[in-house]
This record gives sequence, structure tokens and C-alpha cells, in this order.
Amino acid sequence: MATTTATPGSSAYERSWVLDWLTTVDHKKIGVLYIANSFLFFFFAGLLALVIRSELAVPGLQFVDESTFNQSFTMHGTLMIFLFIVPIFSGFANYVVPLMIGAPDMAFPRINALSFWMLPLGGGLIIAGYLVGGAAAGGWTGYNPLTQERFSPGDGTDLWIMGLAVVGTASILGSVNFLTTIFKMRAPGMTLFRMPIFVWTVLVTQALILLATPVITAALIALFIDRNYGGSFFDPSVGGDPILWQHLFWFFGHPEVYIVILPALGVVSEILPVFSRKPLFGYAAFVWATIGIGLLSFSVWAHHMFTTGVVFLPFFTFMTALIAIPTGVKFFNWLATLWRGSLVFTSAMLFALGIVSMFLIGGISGVMLASAPVDFHLQDTYFVVAHLHYVFFGGAAMGVFASAYYWFPKMSGKLLNETLGRIHFALLFIGFNMTFFVQHMLGIQGMPRRIADYAPDAGWTEMNLISTAGAFLIAVSMVPFVINVVTSLMNGRKAGDDPWEGNTLEWATTSPPPTYNFDSLPPIRSERPVFDLRHRDEVPHP
Amino acid sequence: MKQLIRLAAVALPALLLSGCIFPPEPKTTEAEEVRILFLVIFALGAIVFVGVEGFLLYAVVRYRRRDDRLPVQHHGNTKVEIVWTVIPTIIVLILFVTSMFTLGSISARSDDATVIEVEGFQWQWTFRYDTGYEVTGTPGDPPAMVVPAGVPVRLVLRSDDVIHSFYVPAFLVKKDVVPFGQGQAPNELEFTITEPGIYRGQCAEFCGDLHADMTFTVDARSEAEYAAWLEDPGEPTPTAQPSIPEDTFVVELSAENIAFSTHELTVPANEPFVIRFTNLESVQHNVSVYDNEETLFEGQAVTGPDATIDYLIQPLDAGEYTFICDFHPIAEMTGTLTAE
Amino acid sequence: MSAQAPVRREGGFPIPLVGMLLFISSEVMFFGGLFAAYFNARASFEGEWGPPPGAPELEILPIALPITLILLTSSLTMHLGVRAISRGNSSRLRLWLVVTLGLGILFLIGQAYDYTQIGFGISDGVFGTVFYTLTGFHGAHVFGGVVGLTILTARAGAGQFSARNHVAVEAVSYYWHFVDVVWIALFTTLYFLR
Ligand code: HEA
Ligand code: HEA
Ligand code: CUA
Ligand SMILES: [Cu+2]
Repeated sequence: MATTTATPGSSAYERSWVLDWLTTVDHKKIGVLYIANSFLFFFFAGLLALVIRSELAVPGLQFVDESTFNQSFTMHGTLMIFLFIVPIFSGFANYVVPLMIGAPDMAFPRINALSFWMLPLGGGLIIAGYLVGGAAAGGWTGYNPLTQERFSPGDGTDLWIMGLAVVGTASILGSVNFLTTIFKMRAPGMTLFRMPIFVWTVLVTQALILLATPVITAALIALFIDRNYGGSFFDPSVGGDPILWQHLFWFFGHPEVYIVILPALGVVSEILPVFSRKPLFGYAAFVWATIGIGLLSFSVWAHHMFTTGVVFLPFFTFMTALIAIPTGVKFFNWLATLWRGSLVFTSAMLFALGIVSMFLIGGISGVMLASAPVDFHLQDTYFVVAHLHYVFFGGAAMGVFASAYYWFPKMSGKLLNETLGRIHFALLFIGFNMTFFVQHMLGIQGMPRRIADYAPDAGWTEMNLISTAGAFLIAVSMVPFVINVVTSLMNGRKAGDDPWEGNTLEWATTSPPPTYNFDSLPPIRSERPVFDLRHRDEVPHP
Repeated sequence: MKQLIRLAAVALPALLLSGCIFPPEPKTTEAEEVRILFLVIFALGAIVFVGVEGFLLYAVVRYRRRDDRLPVQHHGNTKVEIVWTVIPTIIVLILFVTSMFTLGSISARSDDATVIEVEGFQWQWTFRYDTGYEVTGTPGDPPAMVVPAGVPVRLVLRSDDVIHSFYVPAFLVKKDVVPFGQGQAPNELEFTITEPGIYRGQCAEFCGDLHADMTFTVDARSEAEYAAWLEDPGEPTPTAQPSIPEDTFVVELSAENIAFSTHELTVPANEPFVIRFTNLESVQHNVSVYDNEETLFEGQAVTGPDATIDYLIQPLDAGEYTFICDFHPIAEMTGTLTAE
Repeated sequence: MSAQAPVRREGGFPIPLVGMLLFISSEVMFFGGLFAAYFNARASFEGEWGPPPGAPELEILPIALPITLILLTSSLTMHLGVRAISRGNSSRLRLWLVVTLGLGILFLIGQAYDYTQIGFGISDGVFGTVFYTLTGFHGAHVFGGVVGLTILTARAGAGQFSARNHVAVEAVSYYWHFVDVVWIALFTTLYFLR
């Protein structure tokens, strides 16, 4: 990696480039490792999605048998969530949070490296199922008693459990690190309510990880005991309770979805102000909304269990629908930020606007699902698949690309090509809506999810075909992105310290920043210290 | 961006108008209520959607950067922020109240419902009537549930293996079929079909390899026709057991954990033989013999934990055949039968 | 923790202690999940809740109560150790650490022995499963604490702690007290409230 200024010599002796990356405890390098690792898993899980979509394009089993199909969506869901979308935001956060709060590094650099390196280990374990006679095939939700030894005898399920436990432990260690960093390592003047919104969303996200992940770890261990040591937690034939698994899983699973989305919403809240040249409208409201979503997320888990017949529907319908309020506050704050702004449509900005428009659809479909009677119809149909991709892909994964375009210059010192970026966005946007919009309708017409095949006379063929075509268009859209990253790394234009006229502290140092980040910090008197510095003569601060 | 918007402007309404965005024609009284609720909530969602996307598009077009001036730096405005917290709150309350009304009326129970017991198993269904009649499907031959239209029908949903879910899209309601342990009452689902007809349904909770094959139909008939049918449902006659001669060749086969004990059987060609099949688990299995697509023999179902049945099979020409469990036509329950 | 971590001392809690407290809160949720499983199993259990038929009733004597007292005492000795070093008395610290370590090991031995006497196994019904899972994971945590104490003892032996610099001792002591509290909760639920 090229640096624009001489970095203080950190190592007295020369180490090989590879060894340097393998042993690094620098938060920036670890962040880059996280991001690279996550993209590898994204491409693999995306290929599995193409397998799924190809099989479903037309009725009949053409490419894979049922068991392979079931492994495909299980691995697709598991890897996308636990090894792509969650860790990649940990990667961006690793890179930029210390910069944004003016810290030299994370609080525990070595634990930081450890929690990264557990990820390829855990992911490897999960994928290793393919080598021992079949990967796990119980869905990413691993419902019981289907995942008991009796019904899923292979080692793939045990590897899935162990892999997830490793990944979970890694994320707990990571969250201890992030929270300590944010609490204790802020630069002088960086009070909590001057922190960039992205840092706030990371703070709430990591608190959710800290409190939700151990519950799934406990459940996974209990399942492992059931499968391997004759335990009877979840198997009704020996006195266990299959519904207990669902409670434990979703007690974690629902906070998990906000773990995924909050950082993406944070990124939007960094990008919109920069490219509108306005402050985020209602900063404090935004912070409180984020905290509110975090708190509410622990009280809604049973909206995934409406059809089990054993949960108290009014309570969970009500609490779930309530989440629309703080989320709505965020949307309106964004719109007000754009209002009377001075907007430029860089690739990062396009993706941020893409999130606002697409996550909205996912949010509305979520609120429809929150109504228990409507959910009776839509639960476990493609409507849910559509919902989850509008929030995961249209919300979070778009946030990944927005972050990539926004921070790539900081991380590499090079600018990405904007034309390729726009092509990427356009193809992705069209492909995404083709793939997933029709899935709402499939679900409303009653097509269940997780089926390898459907009847030719069910009337679902055309829409499935459109969806499959869209999925391949998404895959094509990745080509300009990969080309863009590779060519820009090799011979992109120099970015300079602050190519976007940014607001936050990461733009106050070189691109990429030196080992301990800052030679000197500007004074911090608001949530936009770099903006204040740039405009110190124009807008006197209140 | 602009082309995109134009494209979307044409494509979206076209898709919406195609009608697929609305639930199927409701065929039960409960479904009618759910459909109305769906439309109410859909309308609320549509208003939010149009409002937010409208503002967004307007802002994107109207406020693109034209010069290098710094716009006015608005940090917030408490009044409007309160307004736009209250608006979604109202929408949420409407949604909640209407949902609760619908929930109340669709969960009402009547005392005189026709009760049918539904058992889901990997991977099909059994429907049992209180007359003792029952019908069990196989993945290749899904069952039909005959029910009366116009009167309440109550399904008692049982499972002994994993979780399934009983779902008929035209009823707009589904319910999980959960293997509750220890004396917990099974789930029930009650509905009143408004119109005779044949409605397709299928298992909606992922339940393993052949989840997609757990299809069935509901055959709703007028009350009189239903009564007549129940008198004489035309039992799918169990093939009478022919007596087995003393010196017939016997091969043994057993099943456990949804898998056959062997995947290779060898029998003499051109003479009758017996497959002595032992089912070691409390899950239904059978053994059938196929020559490609053609069914040569279809074995009667047996349910363990330890049940043995002798299948007498008529002479086969020398060659290779497939034997399979019709309930679980997966690799673990498929094998090659060689006659030589 | 690491040498190049620039620790900003702005007063308040030292960084390692913040980290430890956060970690402990996640552990609380972990045991919370296991306890939820326990109470769920218990609530839906029909018949008499307790050791499976044929196995002897759980007794607090001769083992469970004594090891409880051992663990409680070890919390006290740990505390005395921290007090000693905050007054700069590092030889006292060493003494108390060794005692705490010994008590911790004694607890583990006692529990292992208890397992051999208890007369049912992890696969014997729901109670067997939850009993061994809960106590087993607690035991694993005690073991983790013992490892931590061993390291501390070694470092104390090398004279690495002083009145001003002993956050590691305090961090481990937090953890040790936490493990103790979990045991009290376990002991009361499994042996008394049941
Ligand atoms: C990033 C991930 C993410 C996010 C953010 C959400 C957000 C929400 N989800 Fe979603 N959800 C998933 C991921 C996510 N979900 C996944 C993966 C599943 C399936 C799991 C599985 O089974 O595999 C699922 C399933 C799921 C279900 C269960 C479906 C079923 O299986 O039957 C429900 C039911 O209530 C639900 C509801 C909601 C709601 C109410 C929100 C809300 O947070 C949305 C709030 C946002 C808005 C509403 C938009 C903005 C608001 C305004 C503009 C204000 C005005 C609007 C109104 C008043 C309506 N989700
Ligand atoms: C972050 C989460 C995430 C993301 C991003 C995606 C992305 C995609 N998902 Fe997935 N999905 C889930 C999370 C996610 N999904 C979850 C949780 C489930 C539920 C699982 C379950 O039921 O248990 C699910 C289920 C699911 C289903 C339902 C399966 C079923 O129920 O039977 C389908 C079907 O269409 C699907 C499709 C897709 C598609 C087409 C994409 C595409 O957007 C993927 C696009 C990516 C690629 C195509 C990458 C490959 C790219 C290349 C090959 C480019 C070339 C490379 C170079 C130039 C180097 N997903
Ligand atoms: Cu039975 Cu799915
Ligand atoms: Cu949820």
C-alpha cells in the first residue's frame, strides 16, 4: 500500500509483507483483513444463491437434488449473515472508528487480531461440512427437532454448530474491544454527543452483540449436547422442548438483524450530510432513535413464531410495530438533511440513496409481517424472503458498497473510478429489484420458502424466471466493482487527505493514515470537526 | 438515475396492476377477514412508501449541486421532529388495533365443528376422520382432504417427528404442526370454507429433504355431498395379502433413521420372492419396486418401532430394478434390486 | 494490555477493568440463556422435577455445601489479595493468590468427585441434561479463573505488581467474584428452590 506521507518508522527490522499482515495488530490492517475475508465469503455465498436461483428458475429438479439444495440455502444464509454482513461492518468499524474518535488504535490491539483470526477458522469449520458428507441443511435458523441427530445425522451439522460458536465468541471479544475503545479512547473534546453517527451506531450494534450473542452460544452448546451426549433440551421424544430453541434463537436472532442494519444506517448518516453539504438534521433525535431501536430489539423476538400457536400475539405485534417509529424518525431526518442541500451524486451517495429507497420497502414489508393475522398468511413464504433481502441486501449490503466507495480513498490513498461505480450501482439496483420484488408477489400467492421445486401449474414460473434473471444481473454487477477496485489499487489517481470534503476526523489525517493515525488533531467542538476547520471563517459556531 | 426512475415508473404499476400483489381469492370466512386487514395495512404502507419515495425523488432532482455555495446549515427543528414522530405513531396504532380486531374474530372457536385429525410426518400427511377412515399420502401421490363447505371445520394438528406447517394459500392462514412433548395439547386450526372447490396446500415449515413434496389438496364439498362421501369414502383398498408358499426365496431389509439397512438386494429371476421388511422406527415406511418410471410393486405402509411385513413380489426378468420407500424417496431410502 | 496500546489516563475506570466488566455482562447473558433453558424445562415438566427415577436425591452433604463454602471463601481471599497489593504489600498478595488458587482447584476436585457420586448422567432425562450443562459450564468457568490465577501468581512471583500498577489482579478478581455469584445462583436453584 502506498502512503502519501512518510509514516513514522514502526518496525526496526524488515519483515516480509505476508508476515506483516499475518501478525499485525494495527486496527487499520485488521480492518482491511476483515473486509477482504468477508468479501471472499460474500462471493462464495453469492454463488450458492445462484445455485438456488438456477434450480428454481423453472419447475422440476434440473441441477441439484433436494439435499444439495437444502445445504445451499442453509450455507447461503449462514455465511451471508455470520461471515459476510456482520464481520464486514466490523471491518469498516475497525478501520474508521478509532480514526473518527481521534484514537491511535483500538483498546486491545491483540484481542482485536485474535477476534479477526477466529473468523476464517469458524467459517472454515462451517464450510468443512461439504468435505465430510454434506454441509448442514437445517436452514440458517437450525430449527429443532429437525437438527437433532435423529433427523440430521451428518457431521455437517456439528461442524455448523462449532463454527458458529467460534464466530460468536470472536464477535463477543470484538464487541468488548469496540465498546471499551469508544468509552475510553476518545480524543479530548470528543464527548459522546459529538461522536459521528457511525460511531454511535457501532456503539449500539456492539452492545447488542455483547448481550445477544452469548444466548445463541448457549443454545448452540445445548444443541451440541443433545446431538452428541444424549441431552434432552430440544427433542420432544426425550422430554425436551422444540419451541425453547426458537425462543433462544430469536432472542438472539432479532437483535442480530439490527446488528446488521444499524451500521449501514450509520454510514448513510455520514454520507448524506457530506454530499449534501449540510449537517445531519436532528442529530440528537437520531442518536436516541438508535438507542431506542437497540432496546426494543430485545422485546420483539417472537414475531418469528406467530404461527407456532404458543406465543402471546398482541404483545409481540405491538412491540414489533413500535420499531417503525424510531426507524421512521431516521428516515425523516435523512430527508430533511437532503432538503435544501447541495447534492452531488458520487457512487457513495448513489448507494446511500439506494439504501434509503430500498430499505424503506423492506421496512414496510416488515411492518406488514408484524401484524399477526397477516403473518399467518405470509410466514415462511417468499414474502419473508423478499423482506429479508430488502433489508439485508437493499439495506445492509448496499451499505457495504456505500462504505466501500466512501472510505476506499482513505484506506488506499487512491480514488475509485466513478463511471464504473455508477455502472455498478445501476446494474445492481435493477438486478436487485428484479430478483426480489417479484418475490413479494410469489409469497403473497402462497409460494413457501425453502422448497427445491414447485408444481408447473402453480402459476409461479414466470416470476421465478424473472427472479433468477435478476440474480444473474446482480452477479454481473459485481464485475465492474471488482475491476474498479483492482485497477484503482494498481494505478488509481491519488486521493489526497480529504477527497470528499468530509466532516469527521478520519479526513484530518493522511490517506492511508500513519501507524498511530494522527500527528495532530483539530479542535473538536461539534460532531463535524473537519467541517468546522474548513469553514472556520464562514460559519461561526454557536 | 433518471432512466431508472422512468423505468420504475412504468414497471411498478404494471406489476401492481397484475394483481399478484394482492392475496389470492379468499375461500374461508377467516380468509376474507385477513384479506381485508391485508388491504388496510397495504394501503397504510403504500401511503408511507409514496410519501417517502416522493420526497426523496423531489429532493434528489430539485437540490442537486448547481454552484459552490454552502447551503444554510440547519441542525434540527423540534416542532417538525415531533410531528414526524407522531405520524408513524398514529399509523402504528391503527395497525395494531385493526390487527387485534381481526385476530379476535379469526380465532373464535365453535362447538359443533367437524373435527379432522391431521398428522404431518416426513414427508407427507395423514388425515383421520372420526369415523375411523384415514388417508395417507406419499410424495408421489399427495392426499386429498375432503371437508364440508359452509360449516366450521377444526383440524387437530399432530406431529411425531419434526415441525411442519399446514398451509392452504386460499385460506390465508397457516398453523405450525409441532411435535409438542409431554401432554401439551396439539395446535388446532379452525375455518369455514365459503365455496366448494379444490384448493391446493403444502407444508410451509422446512422439515428436511422432501419438504417441497408435502403437498395436498383440500376438497371442499357441499354438506350433503360430504355426508354421502363420509358414508362411503371408497377406501383406497389395501391389497389383500396373498398367502406365501413355503419355499419362497426371502431377502431381509430393515429401516431405521429414515434409511434402509442396505442399498443392494439380490433375488433369483423369474420366480416369486419375498422382501421381509422390518421397520425399526415409529415412522411410516414401505418398499416399492420400480422399473424406471413403471411401478412393478407397491408395498403397504408399516409403522414401527418394530414391525415386520412380508411383501410377496411376482417374478421379475433378470435385470436391475429400483426399490424405494414411497414416503421417503431419498438416496438413503433407495436401492438397487438385482434379479439374476 | 499490549505494550504499544496508548492508554489514555483520563481518570475513571482503567481500560482493562472496563473490558472485563463488559465481558462479564456478556457472560451474564450466557448463563441467563442456560438458566432460561432450565426454568423452561422445569415449567413444562410433568411429574416430579429432580434426579431421574432410580437415582438418589441430590444431597448438599457431604460435597455440595462444603465446596460452596470453599468457593465463597476463595472470593474472600481474592479480595484480601487485592487489598494487600493496593497497599503495596506484594508478598501478602502472593500468599492470598496461592490460597485462592488452591481453593479454586479444591472446588474443581470436589465437583468432579461429586459427579462420580451423583448416580445419574447427562443423558438421563431433562434434569440430568440441565444439571450437568449448568454445573459443567460453571466448572469450565472456574477452570478459566484458575488459569488466570496461575498466571497472576507467576507474575506476582516475578514482582510485577505494585500499589499503583495491579489492574490485572483487579480484573481477575472481578471475574472470580462473578464465577462465585453464578455458583450461588446455581446452588440455590439446583439444590434448594428446585
Ligand atoms: C437487517 C435485517 C432486518 C431488519 C432491519 C428488519 C426489520 C424489521 N422486520 Fe424483519 N426479518 C429479517 C431481517 C430484518 N428485519 C429476517 C432475516 C427475517 C427472516 C428470518 C428467517 O425466518 O429466516 C425477518 C422476518 C421478520 C418477521 C417474521 C416473518 C415470518 O417469518 O413470519 C417479522 C414479523 O414481524 C419482521 C418484522 C420486521 C419489522 C417490523 C422491522 C422493522 O424494523 C422495520 C422498520 C422500518 C420501517 C417501517 C421503514 C421506515 C419507517 C417509516 C418511513 C415510518 C413510517 C412507517 C410506518 C408507520 C409503517 N421481520
Ligand atoms: C446479507 C444477507 C444476504 C444476501 C446479501 C443475500 C443475497 C442473495 N440471496 Fe439470500 N438469503 C439470506 C441472506 C442473504 N442473501 C438468508 C438469511 C436467507 C435465508 C436462508 C434460509 O432459509 O435458511 C436467504 C435465502 C435466499 C433465498 C431463498 C431460498 C429458499 O428459501 O429456498 C433465495 C432465493 O432466491 C436467495 C437469493 C439470493 C440472491 C440471488 C442473492 C444475491 O443478491 C447474491 C448476489 C451475489 C453474488 C451473485 C456473488 C457472486 C458474484 C460473482 C460470482 C461475481 C463474479 C466474481 C468476480 C468478478 C471475482 N436467498
Ligand atoms: Cu413438512 Cu415441510
Ligand atoms: Cu425479527
